[in-house]
Order: sequence, then structure tokens, then C-alpha cells
Amino acid sequence: MVRNIVILGGNSHPALTENICNILGLPVSNRILTKFSVGETRCEIKDSVRGKDVFIIQSGGGSVNDHLMELCIMISACKTGSAKRVTAVLPLFPYSRQPDLPYNKAGAPLSKPPTEVPKDKYTFESVPATPAPGIDKTPSFNKDTDMSRMMSRTSLTNGAGHGLVNGLSRTNSENVVDPTPAPARPGLTTLQTQSFTTHDLQNPALINTFQAKPGYKRWVAQAGTLVADLLTCAGADHVVALDLHDPQYQGFFDIPMDNLYGRPLLQRYIQQNIPDFKEAVIVSPDAGGAKRATAIADSLGMEFALIHKERRPTRITDRQNATMMLVGNVANRVCILIDDLVDTANTITRAAKLLRKERATTVYALITHGVFSGDAIQRINLSAIDKIVVTNSVPQDQHRRLCPKLDVLDVSPIFAEAIRRIHHGESISVLFQYD
Amino acid sequence: MNEIKLLSGNSHPVLATLVANRLGIEIAKTMSLNYSNQETSVSIGESVRDEDVFILQSTSPGDINDGLMELLIMIHTAGCNHVITMDLHASQIQGFFNVPVDNLYAEPSVLRWIRENLSGEDIVIVSPDAGGAKRATSIADRLDRGFALIHKERPRPNVVGRMVLVGDVVGKVAILVDDMADTCGTLAKAATTVKENGAREVIAIVTHGILSGDAINILNNSCLSQIVVTNTVPLGNKEKLCKKLRVIDVSPTLAEAIRRTHNGESVSFLFNHAPT
Repeated sequence: MVRNIVILGGNSHPALTENICNILGLPVSNRILTKFSVGETRCEIKDSVRGKDVFIIQSGGGSVNDHLMELCIMISACKTGSAKRVTAVLPLFPYSRQPDLPYNKAGAPLSKPPTEVPKDKYTFESVPATPAPGIDKTPSFNKDTDMSRMMSRTSLTNGAGHGLVNGLSRTNSENVVDPTPAPARPGLTTLQTQSFTTHDLQNPALINTFQAKPGYKRWVAQAGTLVADLLTCAGADHVVALDLHDPQYQGFFDIPMDNLYGRPLLQRYIQQNIPDFKEAVIVSPDAGGAKRATAIADSLGMEFALIHKERRPTRITDRQNATMMLVGNVANRVCILIDDLVDTANTITRAAKLLRKERATTVYALITHGVFSGDAIQRINLSAIDKIVVTNSVPQDQHRRLCPKLDVLDVSPIFAEAIRRIHHGESISVLFQYD
Repeated sequence: MNEIKLLSGNSHPVLATLVANRLGIEIAKTMSLNYSNQETSVSIGESVRDEDVFILQSTSPGDINDGLMELLIMIHTAGCNHVITMDLHASQIQGFFNVPVDNLYAEPSVLRWIRENLSGEDIVIVSPDAGGAKRATSIADRLDRGFALIHKERPRPNVVGRMVLVGDVVGKVAILVDDMADTCGTLAKAATTVKENGAREVIAIVTHGILSGDAINILNNSCLSQIVVTNTVPLGNKEKLCKKLRVIDVSPTLAEAIRRTHNGESVSFLFNHAPT
């Protein structure tokens, strides 16, 4: 039994909060966490937190931004309410993985120079020197960049824009993709950047049409440190996460940050549920996850293989298609794919297909965080994966109903033990030793 | 080098366009979108290095948190040195920032609207709650007209209780002045209260017309003859749904504030004057 401790849960994963509290033998603290009619988050903590050791459990799945704001407001509320210490527990850390460029169906994003503007037609000083009403627009822009003109043509509904992103319309026909309306986010009416997902394979035209100014290579703002700053700024004294995509991320925090491992769970699953696991092969679906996979292979004394995503152009005709190469032998073996996060399941299903092609008998996929966004579940159902195992770091009830191949491991004991140890000031490095 | 770069979030592209046109510049090339896992991603398509970057983001009802994250990510690429806002609900909020905050007022624009549209009328300015009394009295003083106040009880958020009118509105055109209208429960009730106290006509002037939830219905069924809002919040098709809605364009004020901030001129001129 632990005393003087308050456990609060956000709206992202109430079941996990409850499990953790059951293990600790504590009630979940009362709070009201709703939205005002305008959409702003409203938070009321019903229990006293004065002088208490507060743990707030909020995962990153679902409406990520709403959950992140909820967390920040709860942290701030507890801090204002004189909590002794506030620890943010994030089973899935939001914005921990963002690609450099939006995902492109065609494979690796190529920074080929825009074709619309001839290279000799632009200057680097392409904006009027002194802003003043009525001044001529930059000559290097064509008519279509005039927002007011564009607005008169573009409807405000989602996805129905004609491939217009930030005023540039795609004219060269080879890249025009059927502009099937994307599934709309309710209530959003936007103009130059409609709501669409970068993984939306039906509607990649919108992403492809966004082009940087001539001579400038576009880049994607990385939100990683922003989240760290937000949590620190809201008043968090301690952060606990599970299987961060980048372990280096710990260094972005000025406050103590504990990165727990899902590895013992995955390892135990292999030992208990996979027959003759010693004969199986651990496979990393990309080079980035090799370290994670080899760690498991080493500690279980198993063999290891790696899938390498070839980004180099192979032939001119399919130069935009990333090809996958397997390094290692999997013929007539059971394969176990290991990764930290499955989102659209694109990588993992392609990897499974390759393993099958290389005559693997059975393909397991063991992954810590199962986000399964977009059409991931359908893709997995149709894929060569025989069994996919994830933890409940994000809610999995719905996924489990839709995917018969899915097994879920419970992470609440890990978090409960971490919370107990942090509260008592005991070392949590024991949780890292599982061999 | 060091020119104005105007970045627009997804919340209010219409206002961004108005401001950009006013300044005679293009909106910078950025793209923000949501991944299928609902994380926000912002792509920057032109150089902002050493430029004077202004990011325009309003609150679009329903998507506040997404809009806020989008803004934070955009800012995060550069760092925020200055905040320009309009009619903060509590002016004390200015003090909570570590960077300069310019709180612009919609008041000059509102005053002009009243002078242009209600010049001959016998008007009285009414504040729908005690908190807005200062704002309302300021307008009443500038117009040299009478003032009244409604006292209300609010048992729960977004719910309004009993109302009591203090002041004389008999036979006059009452103008309800507030900074924000969300579900409009307050406004409609206040209008009824004012009407019951003998006002000839009731008009509402509100800076931020969020008009979320059932607001349009409530307004249509209320005894308000006109609702005047500024375009700080995207209104979408609400003007079509509510015939009583009038819109004041504040983009000249915002554009002028951007220009003055960029050139290091004083912004306080805008506290009393609305550029046309």
C-alpha cells in the first residue's frame, strides 16, 4: 500500500489507468476532463493534491493533440494546486517519431526541382522589398498563387480541392492522381491545406502538389523537443515513457526522464508462446530497429536477420520504388519481426511479404506500440503476418475486435512497479534487468 | 533579407489572405496536415532565416487543440519573440508572457460601425456581465451615451442563470457589448432581459464570434435584431445561416499592427484609431 499518492488518468486510456491503480491498490482520483462547447479543454481536479505525489497517466494515441493539451492542463492544474511532485506517465510518447518528409506512396521522397518555373526565372529576392498596399505581386509567381483568386474557385469542403496546396495547382498530367475525397475530420473547413493524412493512399495528390519555393528545399518542422518543452513548462517534475523511438530523446528533457522497456514482455512472449523459439529467427524490419532486435536475439540466443530498405534508384522506370532486401537466411524458419511502433503497418506488412517470399514458415510480429492508424488493421488482416503481438500502451480493444491475428500484452504491471518505485525513491533500474 | 513573412495556420486562411493582401505580400509557403495517427506535421517551403516572421492563427471552433499544436510547431521552428492578439478576455493575461504582448482593441472598429450604422438612434450601451463593464463603459464614454449593466448568476460553465438589469433602457436601442460569444446563451438571455425592461431594439456587438454548438439557432430565435462580430474567428457559412449576423473586418488593424511592429513603430496609435 502506498500513501500520499494521487493517480490521475487522461481520457486517452482509462482502462490502463484503472489496471495500474488496481495493481497499486489505489483508487483513480476524481477529475472532470471534458471540452467546452468551443472545443477548449476543461479540467477540474476533484480530489486534493496539496502536498501529494501526483502521477498523471496519458497515452499518445487517438486525438493526439487533445490528449497532449489535456495532459499539460492537468499537470499545470496539479502544480497550481500545490502538488509536491507531478510525474507525467506517457505509455506512448506523442510526436516521438516524425519522418523528415511526409510519407509518399512512391517511396523515398525525392527532392527533384520543380518543373513549373524555369531555373533562370527566379531570384532569391523574390518578395517585394517594402510591403505596401497595391504593390505588384512577385513576378515569379503565376496567377494561381493569388489566394483570393484561388479561394473563389476552391470549395471549403475537405478533400474536394483540386489538388491545390498552398495555391499551387498541379498541371503536369503525369502526376495527377484521382482526387478521391479524403475521409474528413469532422468540423474542419480549411482552404489551402485541407485535412488529409500523409498515409492516405487514395489522395496523395494533395501532398505531392505542395512544392517549396524554387531553390529552397522544404523541410518538416520536428515537434519532438516542443513536446519536451511543453511538459516541462506545464510543470512536470518527472516523465516516464515506454520504448521511446529514439532513446536519445531522454536528453531533450531538463527533468528526470525514465524510459522503460517493453522488451521483457516481448521476450517472455517469445519464450512462452512460440514453440521451438530457439530455432526461430529474429528479424528487424529496418536498419533503425536493428539494435532493439539484436538485443532480444542476443539475450535469447537466437539468430538474427535484417531487412534493408534500398533507397537507391534501381532502374529509371521504378526509381521511386524503395526495394527491400533481406540480409540473413530465413528459409524454412519461423520469423519474429521486432519493432517499437506499428502505425500504418506499411513497413511491417511489406517486411512480412518479403519474409514469405524468402520461404519463412511462420511470421510473427512483436511490437511495443500498436497505433494502427488509417487502414492498418485491414492491411494486417490481408498480410502474410500470422500473428501480431502488441502491448496495451494505447487502447487495443477495438483493434482486437477487428483483427483476429492480434494478441495484446498488458504493460500496466511495468508502469505500476515504476510508479511504486519512483514514489518510494527506489531505483527503477531493476526494471531494466530482466535476463 | 529581414522582410515580413506571413505564415498562416489552418484555422483562418480567409483572414490571413485579407491581411496579406493589405500588406501586399504573399502568404509564405507552408503546409500543415495531420498524419493518420493524428499527429500534426508542418512543412516549411521557403526560407525564414533572419526574416521577420508573423504567424497568424485564430481559434477555429472545435479544433482548438489541433490549431494550438499547429501554431506551437510553427513557432517552435523559430521561437516566439512577440505576441499580437485582439481583445483578450482578461487583459491581465498580458502579464503572463515573458515576451512583449500587444493586445489590440476591436473598439475603434466597433465605434466606427456604431457611428456609421446607428448614428441617429437613441442608444444605450449594455454590458451583459460585470466583467465586461469596463469595456462597455469605455464605448459609452466615447459615444457620450448612457450605460446599463446586467448582473448574472452562472451555476455551471456554458449555462446561464437568473439576470438582473441595472440602469435605464426604456424606449432606447440597447447595444449589448461583449468580447466573446460562444454558445450565445448569455447574449440571448441578456437580450430578453433588456427587452423586458423596455428597450425598443436590442443589438449585440461581440469581438469574437465563436458561435459554437447551438449558437446560430439561439441567435435566430432570440429577440436580437442584429449581431455584429469581427472576423477574428472563421465564420464559415454562418452568415448565410443567420441573417442577423453582420461582420466587421479587422484585417486592416492586424495588418497595420504587423507593419508597425516590423518597422519598429508604435502600435498604440491603433488603440484609438481603426485604419480603413
